[in-house]
Amino acid sequence: MSPALARLLTRLYPLSWRERYGDEFEALLEVGSFGPGTALDVVSSAMFERMFPTRGGNMDQPAYSFGAVLKRPSAFIPVAMSLTALALVMGHIAIYGAAREADEGATAHLWQILMAGQLPVLAFFAITWLRRAPRQALGVLAVQAGAVMAAMAPVFYFNL
Amino acid sequence: MGHYSDPPLLVLASLASGPKHGHAMIEDIARLCGTRLGPGTLYGAIARLEQQGWIEPLPPEDRRRPYRMTAEGLRILRAKLTTLQHFTKAGLERLESL
Repeated sequence: MSPALARLLTRLYPLSWRERYGDEFEALLEVGSFGPGTALDVVSSAMFERMFPTRGGNMDQPAYSFGAVLKRPSAFIPVAMSLTALALVMGHIAIYGAAREADEGATAHLWQILMAGQLPVLAFFAITWLRRAPRQALGVLAVQAGAVMAAMAPVFYFNL
Repeated sequence: MGHYSDPPLLVLASLASGPKHGHAMIEDIARLCGTRLGPGTLYGAIARLEQQGWIEPLPPEDRRRPYRMTAEGLRILRAKLTTLQHFTKAGLERLESL
């Protein structure tokens, strides 16, 4: 079975289950052949796991590393948006100089969209992950705040 | 009336001959009784056996993780197989008397 299909089937399981068994389960799927029987077996087992989740053992205390939390889309998308905004400003300064313009151009609008657009994603991340893994989430929030400040620094420094 | 299928018991019986990872268990169980467990069924059994403390994971080898039976798992397997043995013996004796 292809790794992409194995990953897709594994994603049918709940997050806590995937964090414990996901990697080895994907590896098992990859060495086997794919057919209707396998698909039905995995889909029905995943649905059963969602209805009657396994508790106990290592499942009650999922170990979230900082890297694992940072890989969540709601963690890295705001950072990517801030860095894109920073690149836009720096590119604009490199091309047109740091002189303040009377009218806001396309770059300024894009910068504003990128900075404002990440706020709901940041809020979603904070609500979801501060509860699940407070220490790692605070670390990610610090990275996100650093990226926001980096994107805002040239705007305030050059008074754009 | 097909192949015998009690996934947790089959997993325990497979691990009775030593630690194995998922793929090795599937192949061993197929040789043992002709039942080929699907990956979802196998990991459903593994998760619940681990939850009950009857098997335990070993350090992963690449992405595959072997499991081994605990002392409690061994006790449970012995008890279940003994019950099955008594059941089989009684059933066969009844057939003999027909």
